Amino acid sequence: MPKRPALKVSELDAHYKDFQALWNISFEVNKREMVSIIGANGSGKSTLLNSIAGLLVPSRGTIEFFGERIDGLLPHETVPRGITLVPEGRRVFPRLSVYENLVMGSYTPKMRAKKDEMLAKIYELFPLLKARRRQMANTLSGGEQQMLAIGRAMMSEPQLILCDEISLGLAPVVIKDIYKRLRQINQDGITIVLVEQDIKRSLKVANRAYIMLEGKVVLEGEPSSLTEEQVKKAYFGIRPA
Amino acid sequence: MADRPFKYRWWLLGILFVVLGTIPLWGSDYMLLFGLLLCLYMAMSQMWNLLVGYSGLLSLGQQAFIGFSGYTVAVLTNYYGVYVWLSVLIGGLFSVLLALFMSLFIFRMKGIFFGIGTWIFAEILLLWFSNWEYVKYGTGLFIKPAPPPSMIMIFYAAFIMALGSLAVVYLILRSKIGLGLMAMRDNEEVSETIGVEIFRSKLFCFLVAAFITGTTAGVLYVFQIFIQPYKAFAIDWTVILVFIVIIGGIGTIEGPIVGSFLYVLLTQWLADYGHTSMLILGLIAITIMLVAPKGIMGTLQEKTGFTILSPRRI
Amino acid sequence: MQDLLQPILNGILLGGLYAVIALGMNTMFGIVKLVNLAHGDLMILSSYLSLVFIAWLGLNPFWSLLAVAPVMFVVGFLIQGFLLNRVLGKEMEPPLLVAFGLSIILQNSLLLVFTPDARSLMTDLSVKTIPLGSSLNLPVLYFVDFLLGCAVILALHLFFKRTYLGRAIRASSDDEVGARLMGINTRNIYAYAMGIAMMTAAVAGVLVGMTFTFYPHTGPQYLIIAFGVMIIGGLGSMAGCLVGGIILAEAQLLGAHFTGPGYQLLCGYLVLLIVLGLRPQGIFGKA
Repeated sequence: MPKRPALKVSELDAHYKDFQALWNISFEVNKREMVSIIGANGSGKSTLLNSIAGLLVPSRGTIEFFGERIDGLLPHETVPRGITLVPEGRRVFPRLSVYENLVMGSYTPKMRAKKDEMLAKIYELFPLLKARRRQMANTLSGGEQQMLAIGRAMMSEPQLILCDEISLGLAPVVIKDIYKRLRQINQDGITIVLVEQDIKRSLKVANRAYIMLEGKVVLEGEPSSLTEEQVKKAYFGIRPA
Repeated sequence: MADRPFKYRWWLLGILFVVLGTIPLWGSDYMLLFGLLLCLYMAMSQMWNLLVGYSGLLSLGQQAFIGFSGYTVAVLTNYYGVYVWLSVLIGGLFSVLLALFMSLFIFRMKGIFFGIGTWIFAEILLLWFSNWEYVKYGTGLFIKPAPPPSMIMIFYAAFIMALGSLAVVYLILRSKIGLGLMAMRDNEEVSETIGVEIFRSKLFCFLVAAFITGTTAGVLYVFQIFIQPYKAFAIDWTVILVFIVIIGGIGTIEGPIVGSFLYVLLTQWLADYGHTSMLILGLIAITIMLVAPKGIMGTLQEKTGFTILSPRRI
Repeated sequence: MQDLLQPILNGILLGGLYAVIALGMNTMFGIVKLVNLAHGDLMILSSYLSLVFIAWLGLNPFWSLLAVAPVMFVVGFLIQGFLLNRVLGKEMEPPLLVAFGLSIILQNSLLLVFTPDARSLMTDLSVKTIPLGSSLNLPVLYFVDFLLGCAVILALHLFFKRTYLGRAIRASSDDEVGARLMGINTRNIYAYAMGIAMMTAAVAGVLVGMTFTFYPHTGPQYLIIAFGVMIIGGLGSMAGCLVGGIILAEAQLLGAHFTGPGYQLLCGYLVLLIVLGLRPQGIFGKA
């Protein structure tokens, strides 16, 4: 019997005022999977994540989280349900310390009680954050801030983490390190949806991938079954002659 | 797109001004008073709109020019017997000088802090004039025009200001300066690359607004005969301008016209109720901001694409 | 030189009061990037509320704070929640008119209810002074204002540093979207922040009411003082409030010492203009 998918998006449309950013998007993520969504700038990847997290209300379609409808819910309703978003650009709180940033991750009342427990786990995963816990977030390097953003997202003990372009602006060595830890997080049982522009890396790490172009899903499958040719064509929107 | 309806709008405005301008022929004394106040507010609010709605200069201190010019008229007519309309003109010119002086301090500021700067200048003037023996301290000064102009003459002076202010705004917005200002209004950062031009354009608008506001205030005080610092330099003037322009629709040329009409109507209608009338005005202001934040004309424009004078059509 | 000591001392003490007056407005500016032009009137509302509680319950002004502060919290919460949150956005004009509208409503309501008579919150501290050495006197009321002012600033600082709500407010002002992603309902947060700001305004209002006479229209006067403090001290900075308050008060009192008591306000404004011209971001502000 097929289990309920962790995340099921069906026929999703989303608009920014008059501009339609998502066209009839459907995809699924199963529990403990790491799914990549790949696409160029403007393909709608961030819009998709924002819709799931609740920053944007879709104009049509449904989003289900373990069977429960969450489309249209606001972030302060999706976070307690176990979904967190690591946003594009990281969005750490610059004038709060690393510790305070992390603690903000467990803002919801249920999570406050577990704050110290979660903090210990994250310090274990990212020892660097522990070392810098009293520093202001705006004094951290890009890579450190990215780790902070991820750690912060984990403080609410989510079952699903949405990552929006976490490799943006980071050196390859740093990216490798972050992906390593992401794999670790995934292995510990957390479902991850990864949105990236970097095709190679996200294909390497994912169980399944979706390629998006101009607000639509144009290709999907397991990385092993997708050829580089196919992916490139889908990414750039080169249609067969 | 809206060029066809554009022509009708000219007609509408034309009719309005013809009706307004002929009040002395057909209207009662009360109507004349109403028209006078309407013209004065139209002129001053049109200038405030130019500053805030188009030039990005949030002035909370127009009362500096109102009082300064008013006192100039009072002093000139009272102490030196200068011809009344010449005094009014000089009042306007003195306002320009004041504006020039103010700009040395406050033109580096942006947004609300520019506004506070202008407000502080007005407060300084208030204090200065209240403590100045030459203008009889806080007790106030009389305006003594000789020969004293008739009500109809004063009305037409106000009418000329109203018409003139509209013409000036229209001309500025259709000029090169206006283009630059509107580009800046849409995106201040991008226009920073045009730097000096924008600065000059803003200064120009600030000076023009000072002149017209000052001259209009001169006419006002010729009508009111008496000027006192606590009223002339009061922040109340700004509150009125804010009300008129924002309710009418900021950044639209018709906005101040509609807003002035509404304001004079409301204050005349509620005049018997004293402080309650101000309270009601405040409630109306808040309600409209919650319901139609772009003001009357702004919301109308948004919904129907209707404009009377659209500076956007270059 | 000797006779300068008194105005200097008074300036420091008065500066503490000025700091509390500005505190609420400065804090809210740091959070929602909006200046509440009705702040002065809301503060005077507190003074009148205190008057009511004193008359009704026979308390002294300090005790009346226990009643006034919660009322003002609710007032602030409601104003932000139902009014100001609705006009928060790109355009600056709706908040401007709403604030002015609020100011008009407050002033005229107070006029109708309390008449234009001068009022004061009576306390026997008003005339007490403690002599310090041969030529210096410590005006007790000013001293109390200063102590309470510093206490409020300290309390607010600790609130923002140590409590979840305080941190959530800081987070929301740092990055609103980021804060929402933490599950923080930022609109609610702003309302709580305003409530707290109004509580500081309540303290300011009671202190002002005890120290000076007030009328329904004295609000804007204190608004300008608050602005002065903010501009001199630097926007959104709490330490700046205290420093800015002291500098402004000193400018006023020392200026009046040299030019005459009628020029007190004027001297303050002139110094303010100079700061605006030379260092508009204030002492603790970023350029």
